[in-house]
Amino acid sequence: MASLKVGENKEINTDLIQKACSLAVKAHSKSSQKSYILEKTGGSSYVIFSFPGYWSENDWYDGEPFGETKINLDLFPSLRSIGIDEHAKVNKAFQQRFVDKISRNQDFIKEVEKAKNERKQIVFTGHSTGGSIAILATIWFLEKYWRSDASATSPLCLTFGCPLTGNHIFSHALRREKWAPYFIHFVMRYDIVPRILLAPISSIKQEFQPILQFLNPKSSRASTNTPPEALNFYMNVMKNASSVASHAACKLMGNTNLLLETMANFTALSPYKPFGTFVFCTGNRKLVILSNPDAVLQLLFYSSQLDNEAECPDVAQRSLQQHFSYGNELKDCFTKLDADHAVLLESLEKLPLSADSTTTSSDITTINAALKDLGLSTRARLCLCAAGELEKRKIGNKNSIDLKKADTAMKYLQEYQLSCKHQGLGCYDAFKIHKSDKDFEANVNRLELAGIWDEIIEMLKNYDLPDAFEGEKEWIDLGTKYRHLVEPLDIANYYRHLKNNDTEGYTKKGRPKRYRFTQRWLEHAQRLPAGSCGESCFWADVEELRIKTSSKEGYAPFKDEVLQLEEQAMKWINDGVLDKDVLMENSTFMVWWKKQPDPLASCINDIEGFTITSA
Amino acid sequence: MGTEASSFETSEMLATFLASTPLLSESWRLCNISNTSTPRGFLVEQIGDVGYIAFSGNQTVGNSEPSCRNLVPLMESDGNALFIPLHRLNEGEEPVMVHAGLLQLFLSMHISASFQNQMLALMEKSRPIVITGHSLGGTVATLCTLWLLSYFQSVSSPVQVLCITFGSPMLGNESLSKAVLRERWGGNFCNVVSKHDIMPRMLFAPQASFTQLHFLLQYWHLSMNCPRFGMLAQLHDEDKADLFRLVLCHLEVIAQAGEEVAKSLFWPLGSYLFCSEEGAICVDNAVSVIKMMHLLLMTGSPYSCVEDHLKYGDYVEKVSLQYLNQGSFMQADIPESSYESGVAISLQSLGIYSQETVAKPVKDCLKTARRMGLRPNLNAAKLAVSLAKINPYRAQIEWYKASCDESDDHMGYYDCFKLRDNSKKGAKVNLNRHKLASFWNNVIKMLDNNELPYDFNRRAKWVNTSQFYKLLVEPLDIAEYYRTGMHHVKGHYLKQGRERRYEIFDRWWRERKVSVDENNKRSKLASLTQDSCFWARVEEAREWLDNIRSESDPRNLALLWENIDAFEKYARKLVDNKEVSRDVLLKNSSYNLWVEEWSKLKSQLKKCSLQFPDYVNGKVVP
Repeated sequence: MASLKVGENKEINTDLIQKACSLAVKAHSKSSQKSYILEKTGGSSYVIFSFPGYWSENDWYDGEPFGETKINLDLFPSLRSIGIDEHAKVNKAFQQRFVDKISRNQDFIKEVEKAKNERKQIVFTGHSTGGSIAILATIWFLEKYWRSDASATSPLCLTFGCPLTGNHIFSHALRREKWAPYFIHFVMRYDIVPRILLAPISSIKQEFQPILQFLNPKSSRASTNTPPEALNFYMNVMKNASSVASHAACKLMGNTNLLLETMANFTALSPYKPFGTFVFCTGNRKLVILSNPDAVLQLLFYSSQLDNEAECPDVAQRSLQQHFSYGNELKDCFTKLDADHAVLLESLEKLPLSADSTTTSSDITTINAALKDLGLSTRARLCLCAAGELEKRKIGNKNSIDLKKADTAMKYLQEYQLSCKHQGLGCYDAFKIHKSDKDFEANVNRLELAGIWDEIIEMLKNYDLPDAFEGEKEWIDLGTKYRHLVEPLDIANYYRHLKNNDTEGYTKKGRPKRYRFTQRWLEHAQRLPAGSCGESCFWADVEELRIKTSSKEGYAPFKDEVLQLEEQAMKWINDGVLDKDVLMENSTFMVWWKKQPDPLASCINDIEGFTITSA
Repeated sequence: MGTEASSFETSEMLATFLASTPLLSESWRLCNISNTSTPRGFLVEQIGDVGYIAFSGNQTVGNSEPSCRNLVPLMESDGNALFIPLHRLNEGEEPVMVHAGLLQLFLSMHISASFQNQMLALMEKSRPIVITGHSLGGTVATLCTLWLLSYFQSVSSPVQVLCITFGSPMLGNESLSKAVLRERWGGNFCNVVSKHDIMPRMLFAPQASFTQLHFLLQYWHLSMNCPRFGMLAQLHDEDKADLFRLVLCHLEVIAQAGEEVAKSLFWPLGSYLFCSEEGAICVDNAVSVIKMMHLLLMTGSPYSCVEDHLKYGDYVEKVSLQYLNQGSFMQADIPESSYESGVAISLQSLGIYSQETVAKPVKDCLKTARRMGLRPNLNAAKLAVSLAKINPYRAQIEWYKASCDESDDHMGYYDCFKLRDNSKKGAKVNLNRHKLASFWNNVIKMLDNNELPYDFNRRAKWVNTSQFYKLLVEPLDIAEYYRTGMHHVKGHYLKQGRERRYEIFDRWWRERKVSVDENNKRSKLASLTQDSCFWARVEEAREWLDNIRSESDPRNLALLWENIDAFEKYARKLVDNKEVSRDVLLKNSSYNLWVEEWSKLKSQLKKCSLQFPDYVNGKVVP
């Protein structure tokens, strides 16, 4: 059985691909009422869901210049960046279509669950805009079933000539969740459809209607002749693709000219970004496979460039015709599939820069031939290199984090915490009083750690770390440990310096991002509601309540808040996420708590209440 | 800091990005219309969200030709205070100078009602604004942009401005270009210069003959209207040759001087987009810009250097259509390294790849332009690490403050530090103060050199840390200033002694995003006095108080009285709002001593008479 190697340890049966492709096309032509078709072949290990495309302007651009909107986090809770807490964006029309026709379709859900229970591999597929629905269906499946049931068979999403669907955070989140490898996108060298959303609707408004008319397999077009608008359409889409690609390349290559930032305010650039594995079909039975999103974006532009000006009208026609040639092209490719015909581009930074590179290495020669068939100039190859370098640099950034130093500082603070306890005062209070040299040393270590973590946060904000970072257990654990140990010291410092007077309460205004981020990591990893892991802010809650209850209004108006705090404290102590030193006799918390007038209303009747349950 | 530079040459890629946007072609279209239809004026148009204002290239510069070495200090000619951010003077630096005639041209346009009205309308409607112009119009556009940027800074407006000039002469000196960088406006100027155009290079040759230039301008102006008209004022071939030689020769001298001596009166400002028939590259390093101007002109001729000034339409069209082609020329010998191949592509875009004599120096030139530092984001990350390293020094100063504020002499850390003996403790704090200062000065230097991310000064981390540093340490700087008697030498701290970094941090703090509800009342004294210059004001007030005893001139006395009164009110308000830290109110602090002395003086005066100032003539006061 032949298979296509699309990545390290990942091969896909070519029969499956061809079957999916023909079903994806078939989905269009079936009666227009059906929102998906299902193929179950008896005895086979997979089922295929395929989705039809849609062909009116509103099915592409709804509202915004690029038709994008915030992702529906109820359906796709993982599609965001965790620390920054920014939602992914997705094409509004595609998402709406998915919500209306698929996610509420009980038949569909039943079929999916049935297949899942039978442990079959579920394949979602679609051609053109149908591919975008298949993508959303796959993510929906991953969120709903796969995340909670790791024993389920992994899904597969195969798209053919599918438009870009989500933005950079969409792509980032799928890579963080390690879901990106389940998506394989086939793109013909000149097919315009995957590139359309790189252009704002305003720039293609005039031509779009007749082009869609042509692209619609259901429309009764008189002949296979491409419409006269093809040329302008191709040129306009390419011009915008060039903007996006060259802007991205400037960033990849580290251009520092301030003009670049200014320019970005003057031109609307498409927010869309590829994700998953892309299989580019050169048109002469070769396949170029890569999965670096930055590189794919560059390839989408460069592979459609002209060899010479004269071929422009011809390429413009092909840019439409190739949208329909996936079936034939793949069939041709797979009949004689060998290493020379499917090239996996992995170490992008080592690509040959010249088409005539004279090398003896047969690998390089093969790669070179494939790149040549995609028409990649030296400029294009440089862009791919830059994308590879960036990937490498992100890994380098991660490795450069000084864990050794962080570890030493953490150890010091752990000892500090213990020694404080021996002296009869929790480290929060000791640090707040700040009398001894030890407190000073602890402060230095706190600052050192803050420096290291702030640097991590800064890199995350700029997406300078590998996409997987915020999902890695090692980092989530380290962040949580850091947060539990050091955040109380930050709070102590905050209230010692009365910073609550300079701005506002710690939790409202003063809480550093290094703690907000690390808390969100844990909450996301454990699928807990946002804000539920705030135990490291306990001391800030105490300080704020202390201030409130000491005001003129007194205890009464804040009774509920006090009770809630007590309840939480008990739970946190019992769960072992809040250190028991908060209960020491002279701690700020206990001193204040004992002064409260209404101990009977509390969930703990006396101080012992804490110690007993936590014993 | 290390010297890891980008392994890519991106000047060509940036130019490609510029050319793929509509900005270049729209700007040129409007410049072209403005050249013919609004001579000596400008035109305004809105395209999508973007507002355009194009100044006609057809301008007359007073009596003086643009060749004059007639530079004037901007500060002195800026009667209406249009360019305040550019007035700031740095030690050892020449004042900002601009071409007198061109400045006059803009100023006279600026006061016209039609300009004011149309600008207002434009600012109301458009979020981003493009200001453009061909030839002399481009220099007017540059001044207009500087004015708008100054204005938007003063009202903290977020409106974006971009200036695109085509073949425009230089506007001002090196200080101008440095001031623009310092204000972080470098990215708002893009000057399009064709390979051979003599106009942008002209002012490098101060001795160009008046008559030649006069004819040249006339020829260009007529040709802008209609190419055929140009024939009427065609220059003699010998004159062109003279001019070409002259400019080339002067450029060579300046280009070779490089960074060491700024021999030229004029200096490039912002980015330069050099374009040829084959493409374009974009460079922002001033020294490289001058070198490129020289090297590219070398490939020209007396004829092309004049005609190229009129060819921007063709160039713009060519570069904006380039995106379609792979441009897979030069099949052979592509260098192996990614950096070298990028350079090769740049040379091709300038059409000089095979011109050995020029290609080599242009290559060197691109290398100079390539930023030698680390990438801005990486730089910022490294800075964060070094910040963490110097933070303990700051912590020690905090520690020092706390111990002084609590000590038995009740002086507070300002006075303790000012009156410190040779103890180890004081010396240590002073050393820390120096270490912190050099860290922050380095931050400012990196900002000035464009080595940090463009939004660095808006990142909360840096705004907050710098503010905290300022509040804690500036009082010590003030103490040192008065301790060493610098105020006798240079004048008071506030006017003469304040380091630039503190002014910058003030601005960061002012410009940060503030939510509405930040004005809550303090319940306790602030941990640090919220006005870091408080002690400098105290020092001045002390001097006034001293002077009042010896002063006899009633007019001066009244002035002193007024000053003291104002200070007292200011200080009282600060104390009432609890915006001072406890050290200010300690028994033996300079401030408290001043308050005591002041009330003593007042009561003495009251004893003498209830009527002030009739009795105060210097004799009643002991």
